[in-house]
Amino acid sequence: MYLGGEMQKAKAITLYQIAQIGHLGLLLLWHLVHLIVNIWYFALGLGQTLESYLISSGLLKRYNSLDSNRVRYLAIVVDSEEACQTSKVLELLQHLENIGIKHVCLYDPEGLLKKSKEAIFEKLTRVKLYEEATKSDSLVRKHITLELASFSDGKKAVAEAANYLYKKNYIGGEQKEFICSESSIDEALKAIGCAHADPDLLLVYGPARCHLGFPAWRLRYTEIVHMGPLKSMKLGSLIKAIYNFTKVHQNYGT
Amino acid sequence: MLLYRSVQFPSLQISILSSIFPSILTMLSLFAHLSLTPSSRPDNPTHNPKLHSNPTHLRKDPILTRQQNEFDLAGKNYSGAGASPEEERSSIPDGLRRELMPEHVAVIMDGNRRWARMRGLPSGSGYEAGIRAFRVLVELCCKWGIRVLTVFAFSSDNWVRPKMEVDFLMNLFEKGIKAELDNFMREDIKVSIIGDPSKLPTSLQRLIARVEKNTKHNTGLHLVVAVNYSGKYDIVQACQSIAQKVKDGLIEPEEINESSIEQELETNCAEYPYPDLLIRTSGELRVSNFFLWQLAYTELFFSKSHWPDFGEADFVEALVSFQQRQRRYGGYK
Repeated sequence: MYLGGEMQKAKAITLYQIAQIGHLGLLLLWHLVHLIVNIWYFALGLGQTLESYLISSGLLKRYNSLDSNRVRYLAIVVDSEEACQTSKVLELLQHLENIGIKHVCLYDPEGLLKKSKEAIFEKLTRVKLYEEATKSDSLVRKHITLELASFSDGKKAVAEAANYLYKKNYIGGEQKEFICSESSIDEALKAIGCAHADPDLLLVYGPARCHLGFPAWRLRYTEIVHMGPLKSMKLGSLIKAIYNFTKVHQNYGT
Repeated sequence: MLLYRSVQFPSLQISILSSIFPSILTMLSLFAHLSLTPSSRPDNPTHNPKLHSNPTHLRKDPILTRQQNEFDLAGKNYSGAGASPEEERSSIPDGLRRELMPEHVAVIMDGNRRWARMRGLPSGSGYEAGIRAFRVLVELCCKWGIRVLTVFAFSSDNWVRPKMEVDFLMNLFEKGIKAELDNFMREDIKVSIIGDPSKLPTSLQRLIARVEKNTKHNTGLHLVVAVNYSGKYDIVQACQSIAQKVKDGLIEPEEINESSIEQELETNCAEYPYPDLLIRTSGELRVSNFFLWQLAYTELFFSKSHWPDFGEADFVEALVSFQQRQRRYGGYK
């Protein structure tokens, strides 16, 4: 009986050790998979950096024939945490000017870019505020027009437009049956000073791939490209995104 | 399968290093275990008799802990047919976490015609193949516990297409809904149709009313189908409703704000009106007048597959990408 008990004990220890080895094997596999995935993304990142360098240095010929006029209005969405990096924002605007983009809308949800307005216009002399530039054709031709937007220019503006339409049609005078339409909201937005062009291309700089509340009314057929964090912004990636946009064909529902 | 991630070199280097060291340590432990014989194993002064009596009891490890968490948090019947906890746990693919699944997924089912054209088939075949892909997606959403699925079936901008194609589509919708009605009841799926129904064929309008009425008490997946819908139309009708309510004295003029407009949007029929994840197929990078108001903090995933080819693997890729994101909802976590 003593012998039987010893054998049971040895068997149990062996089973336990097999289980431990199996467990360690699984753990090793788990870490190896993590390693492989990280190496893959590292290699991907290296490739993207190299491509960006080749594009910005003009070695990739096809990007040299970039037709920036196809981008009539470019919007940039910046995560509010990254909007504090004014130097990167300035660098981005400088790149856009060099590429030949004429009309830019800079958006951040909390309006931090609006607060940094003076710093932006101080450093970039060829950038004019959209409202000032549109008053004079010569300014529009020679400068980049810059619109600064925030969350309040989106949903809140539409609510104000609805309020405006209500007051215009239902208060005072003859109350007629009012049929709201897209054009009536366009007119209302214009009346309250929130009418701007729909951007052709929207570049999102931030950790999340969403537009963070950019004015919804203006996004109907806008191409949306996620560029990654602003601190990783590269001229080559910017050129590539704009170049890819110029090759897109839109059928607008047809 | 390529997974999209933002690349930041310093954090990647740290990730690689943090993967290498545990791998080396684990390898050394494994070799130590393999080389030690049972007789030469030193006595463990902290040896727990419980471990001895239950040799399969293992210390907590990341794999089992995660599976245990998924089991604990599952709690829902994805299939609608009384799945057991083990079935629920195994139904979530590896790499996805139940607690990070989106509540509301929206899909722009684009690329049916291009798919057909690539195969030398008529457009109708593309749409029929698209219906099959749609059924697969509904089944996956039921299985994986997604609460709301919205699909963009027909845009108000699509009326400019050839009449024959539009008539075919309307006919396909009608046949598809009729064919799936029993399935919706069996799977406990609630169906809602959003968009302007006035331009749809009368028979389709009647069928829509019937299916909405029959399924309104279902408590499983809420399937929202956008037909003759546009994001701008939704905002316009919300503003119209608000103005009418103020005129009728139901609300005060001061109450015309973002919240009141949101309540009038057609997507307010769902428990989770705003999508967490929007998927558009066929490689196009725009929303094409689909949800506009609702997408402020929605993760946008653009898949290169055409809609008929969009299957489980592509859906998993979109969900993995969603779960990896840091979404801050305007700065408040």
